[in-house]
Amino acid sequence: MIRRGESKVLLLMALPAFSIYAVLYLYPALSNLLWATRRWDGNPESEPETVGFRNFTYMFSNDDVFIQSLGNNFRFMLLVVIFQTGFSLLFATYLTKNTRTTIFLRTLYFFPTILSSVSVGLIWLALYDPNYGFINASFKALGFESLALNWLGDSRYALYALAVTQVWFHTGQMMVIYVAGLQQIPQELYEAAQVDGASRWQQFKHVTWPMVLPTTAVVVAYTTIQTFRAFDLVYTMTNGGPLNSTEIIVTLIYRNAFFGYQYGYAAAQTVVLVVVVLSITWLQRRTLRLDYGVK
Amino acid sequence: MKVSKSAKAFKLLVAGAFALSATIVPISGAIANTPNLGAKCTDEGMNTGTTSRSLICVKNDRGELRWARVKLSSSGKSPVSASRSPAGSIEFHHWRGEDKTVFDAIIAKFEAANPGVKVTQVIKDSTSYQATALTTIRSNPKAAVFTTFRGGQFNDFFKANMVTDITNQRFVTNNVIQSALAPATVAGKVYGIPYHSLFNNPLYNADMFAKKGWKVPKNWTQLLAFCKTAKADGIIPFAWPAATRGNAGQILNSFLMNSAPDLATIEQRVIDIESGKADLNSAWFKDMANKYKQMNDAGCFPNNVTGYNDSVAPVDFATGKAAIYPTGSFGISSVTKANPDMKGKIKMFGMITTDDKPLYEGITNNTFILSVNPKSTSRDQQIARAFISYLAQASVAREYAVGTSQHTSIVNVDYSANVDLLNVSDIMGKKLLLAPRFLFLNVAQVRDPMEDALIAIGGGADVNKTLTDTSAKIKQNLGK
Repeated sequence: MIRRGESKVLLLMALPAFSIYAVLYLYPALSNLLWATRRWDGNPESEPETVGFRNFTYMFSNDDVFIQSLGNNFRFMLLVVIFQTGFSLLFATYLTKNTRTTIFLRTLYFFPTILSSVSVGLIWLALYDPNYGFINASFKALGFESLALNWLGDSRYALYALAVTQVWFHTGQMMVIYVAGLQQIPQELYEAAQVDGASRWQQFKHVTWPMVLPTTAVVVAYTTIQTFRAFDLVYTMTNGGPLNSTEIIVTLIYRNAFFGYQYGYAAAQTVVLVVVVLSITWLQRRTLRLDYGVK
Repeated sequence: MKVSKSAKAFKLLVAGAFALSATIVPISGAIANTPNLGAKCTDEGMNTGTTSRSLICVKNDRGELRWARVKLSSSGKSPVSASRSPAGSIEFHHWRGEDKTVFDAIIAKFEAANPGVKVTQVIKDSTSYQATALTTIRSNPKAAVFTTFRGGQFNDFFKANMVTDITNQRFVTNNVIQSALAPATVAGKVYGIPYHSLFNNPLYNADMFAKKGWKVPKNWTQLLAFCKTAKADGIIPFAWPAATRGNAGQILNSFLMNSAPDLATIEQRVIDIESGKADLNSAWFKDMANKYKQMNDAGCFPNNVTGYNDSVAPVDFATGKAAIYPTGSFGISSVTKANPDMKGKIKMFGMITTDDKPLYEGITNNTFILSVNPKSTSRDQQIARAFISYLAQASVAREYAVGTSQHTSIVNVDYSANVDLLNVSDIMGKKLLLAPRFLFLNVAQVRDPMEDALIAIGGGADVNKTLTDTSAKIKQNLGK
């Protein structure tokens, strides 16, 4: 039990961390709300103009690139969440036991995660090269000429190509989280299911999936946030092109703020980004909690 | 052979007259307006160097080959020595990572000549530099010397009062080619030295052209015909790096330079697009966009060109898969790095996109603008000025130029130690325009989407739809 004097000391001990958090995160985040209602070109000599909610109304009524970026972000998120979660769970179910082979394979699958995102972008840029890249060369060698596409240079495919890279990049990381979650499931549950004559699929459906739902909630939420933060990959591989087909909100914010010098408008877009990510995460958690039977 | 005294005196007189005339001819001056030195020559483009005393073989108005002065002229005054620097330390901010070693060596000599001085390079890649330099340098008084890109970035620094007036510094008036100062001059005051003299024209593999018997295209019809010939021969005619916007946009300079009857019209059209008064559906712009399409149709570009980036293009050019690398003199180093055998085989030509008499024959650009930070202390500003004056010495500029394969705006620099710099010097005999692409000052909202549209059209996209969609985007951007 904490006594009165001790609680003051504990609060005092939290003060340095809170101060850093307040200065580096809380203050900028709150002042960003204020900037979102202004128009300013970043020049200290010029006075910011207060425009109320105009930045927000303009964004949704007159900015096709913003709407397109929002759509791109949703498609990117959907693809990555589905495939990254699916693959990481699949790999994890096969690699839960601690044997030499599984540990080796886990390390192998985790390896891309330790690479810097710029390196990953450059590696995949070379793989996707339409004329000399490994991917198209493989398709051609196997006789699938029609699948040798202009992956990053064609607005129809570029976003999907990026999604594949993102999945490759982070599946190993999510797999490790799943392995930790799967290792927590009591072995007795599987034994009981086997006694009842459950097949492997039935064991997965009735034991593994319900027990791993809390981990899935974490994986899905984390993956979602990752897709909204995939700045470096997009920046390195396509820079938002061709014709904004891979532009996502973070790259657009960067462009508006640092190249367009529209700091107020970019601040308003970050507010929308935070609201969108919070809403999606809340919805996902709610859906998964309902699945789990928690009201 | 004996030469009489009077003949010698006459030669000296002629040489003196030539030297005098060379000093007053700006780099962008037309060859037709330059004095013809009279003597016949046989090989167009052949030159004796690129100092104000060098000669180049060019065609005169009657189409005859004659020796003329190269157009890297001088300031018209005697260059001055570098000024002395007080002791202290400053930072030098720029984006040329590839120049670090050369600058390290130059800085070491500057520090040795000025005891107690320390100059530290702070380098970012060009994209990050464009995005963050203003914010970083404004809040860092130690960043006493910095560089800016011509156009949008310099303009942003000027608007933010982040450049110092150096008009009356003697190294500015005496050591720099005066016409090269234009990009850093506002209302008659000079706020920096554009250190680089670039030539944003296509590089071609002269060796390949000679072996195949190809002629360098001199008008639009010849250019399209060349594309068909080269493609039929299995060679990529233009290794156009369309997937890398920065360098993909270099050919826009060539398209713009002959898109109007005079420069004033080109400038007005740019202003109209930037202000929203006109859009990309304007007849002149559509005509230009159609030419991108024609190049695509004629097979000028590699397959899947919109996915063809600037790490592949110079390699294709360097390895003989492509005949032309349409970027500029700054692309030479990446080509020779990919294949050292290309050294001495690269030449440059002005890309003419009209069949009429061209208004301009090539592009030049003066960028890498060296400026002094007004937020720095007066002592640090003094060190900064001394450092720039040191860089403005012909011998230092020569070391920089030869080491980086980069022409400079400093007078009397001898480029003869670098065969590639000499080879692309042909272009100096042409009528050059200061890169008009950089007349677009609103990069994020106008130039980038506009260039993206042209890239898409060069890749085969529908001209009308692309221009209409992009015009709408630009209009929305301008209204934010």
